[in-house]
Amino acid sequence: MSDVTGGRALLALDQITMRFGGVVAIDGLDLEVRQGEIFALIGPNGAGKTTVFNLVTGVYQPTAGRVAFDGRKINGMKRFSVTKRGIARTFQNIRLFHNMSALENVLVGADAHHRTGFIGAGLGLPWHRREEREGRALARELLDFVGIGHRTEEWAKNLPYGDQRRLEIARALATKPKLLLLDEPAAGMNPAEKRSLQQLIRRICDAGTTVLLIEHDMGLVMEISDRVAVLDFGQKIAEGRPAEVQNNPAVIEAYLGAPADAS
Amino acid sequence: MSHSKNTTGIGPVRAAMRKITTPFDEMRDWWGRAPGWVRWTVYGLVIVAALLAPSDSVGAFMSPESDWATILFYPIGVFVLLAIGLNVVVGQAGLLDLGFVAFFAIGGYVMAVIGTELGWNFWEIIVVAVLISSLSGIILGAPTLRLRGDYLAIVTLGFGEIVRLVAQNTDAIGGPRGINSIPHPPDMSDIEIIPDLQPFTYGVIDPRPYYYLLVALCVLVIIFARRLEKSRVGRAWAAIREDEDAAEIMGVPTFRFKLLAFAIGAAIGGATGTVFAAKMISIVPNNFPFILSATILAAVVLGGSGNLPGVILGAFLVGWLPERFRGFEDYRVLLFGGVLVLMMIVRPQGLLPSRQRSAEFAEGSGMGGMGAEVATPTAKAEVSSR
Repeated sequence: MSDVTGGRALLALDQITMRFGGVVAIDGLDLEVRQGEIFALIGPNGAGKTTVFNLVTGVYQPTAGRVAFDGRKINGMKRFSVTKRGIARTFQNIRLFHNMSALENVLVGADAHHRTGFIGAGLGLPWHRREEREGRALARELLDFVGIGHRTEEWAKNLPYGDQRRLEIARALATKPKLLLLDEPAAGMNPAEKRSLQQLIRRICDAGTTVLLIEHDMGLVMEISDRVAVLDFGQKIAEGRPAEVQNNPAVIEAYLGAPADAS
Repeated sequence: MSHSKNTTGIGPVRAAMRKITTPFDEMRDWWGRAPGWVRWTVYGLVIVAALLAPSDSVGAFMSPESDWATILFYPIGVFVLLAIGLNVVVGQAGLLDLGFVAFFAIGGYVMAVIGTELGWNFWEIIVVAVLISSLSGIILGAPTLRLRGDYLAIVTLGFGEIVRLVAQNTDAIGGPRGINSIPHPPDMSDIEIIPDLQPFTYGVIDPRPYYYLLVALCVLVIIFARRLEKSRVGRAWAAIREDEDAAEIMGVPTFRFKLLAFAIGAAIGGATGTVFAAKMISIVPNNFPFILSATILAAVVLGGSGNLPGVILGAFLVGWLPERFRGFEDYRVLLFGGVLVLMMIVRPQGLLPSRQRSAEFAEGSGMGGMGAEVATPTAKAEVSSR
């Protein structure tokens, strides 16, 4: 793995707390994702990983604390503005636009930076046509990039499961993110699919997009990540290089439970 | 699929209905693959047919009991244009609007007030009416589009009634007696194309020039709506319909696009109202009852929400059938209601639905398929579980 520990902080969570009524989902979390790295967020089910994603993308507003992206505070911003600033995500339970073609799904992502309003579109003005052309070219390119370039016209819901995951990644990449959040991208994939997904994530990172990843497949996490943070009950219990985290007693306890003699 | 439901007693009806509607689906798929020149030829033929429609030989069959050209203007032409406008809101953006008649009324009253008080001519007023009605759409939408589904339906229903009641109780615009002697559009030319037809001379007797005006408006609006549908705007609407949260996270400013749909729908409704008022000479608040909103919505849903040819067909049928069967007197409204109920049972996606819409319909249940965001039994999960 490349050493990027000296990289600039791209995303910084500062003392983030998230309460849902009486439940504290995230408790005073500090987290820093650096430019150019692949950062994995792991932890047992219910640890608060997806809540972190929802806090970063503006779905939830933190009860306390600050989320900074690229040096600027983003909590309190609208979700679509967060996307425009350069954060894109996929979903744990795939949320494609099922009855639109693969190409149209990606186009919706590409539209995030388009300016055409109803006047330009309704009158068919030249800049609208240019945007449309460029959007389509970008969408085709991205579908090729994720490996489903031969299925552009198929409806999202008719794609095989693995391809749907890839399409979600293509749609997210179409918003031209600086930071890509992947929520359990390997869930439900077979070993061969996981290997090619791993290569895809590597290629995304090499192309200049920082990746923040939630994943349960430890093999994938350990092989691909530059750094790993472990969440348990909304708190960070460990952070570091994969090998360090793997041997951390607190992590082993969180996953397997405390040894009997410790209680 | 239908076999399991035969116990309800509508199995044979459903089978018969499928025989009738299968050609519609095949036609749609053929149309989807048809090359450009075929499409343009069909468009041309449709426009020619629309221009030739108000003739006595057609009228003898279509409406033996009343003046065919008058019916072509109202209800048919007005319904078609209103349905195209409502389709932007219901069919494209998936927002259930039960008070669409409000914008029709606002357009009509703008024409009536400015035309009688300030003496502007029709062409100036229609621009103002479009602006005012779309502004009223924005004013209605800004606070209410944050609501979803049934709440939005209730608020729009209320808005439709409020506009009518305000008109009824404001003496300055005539109260329940409405406004009289609204000016006609100025004659553009007294050219006589065939004997006894001056299509650009707007008088009291001949409804045909007004009908042609509606046809022209329809063509313009259809081109505009089609272009929107195929652009970023239409994609954003489709994405909002499919999954509003996911759309927003993918960078779609959902609120802004829903407001835009409301404003465009309102503008089309307002333009229709202007033409209506200019033709009718006088309007009263009771020209704009709730039942008209419901009828236009029925037209959109019956024809195939989201698909322009379907919506136009639906509006045509909803406008024409009750006139054609005037002979049934009081029973015709009952029959009309019966037909609608039957349609909802055997062909809920409408006569000519778009492929995307029928798929959405098969997936969702109840109102969800109709475009409204009413909570369904299989309610969508939160953006994702913690």
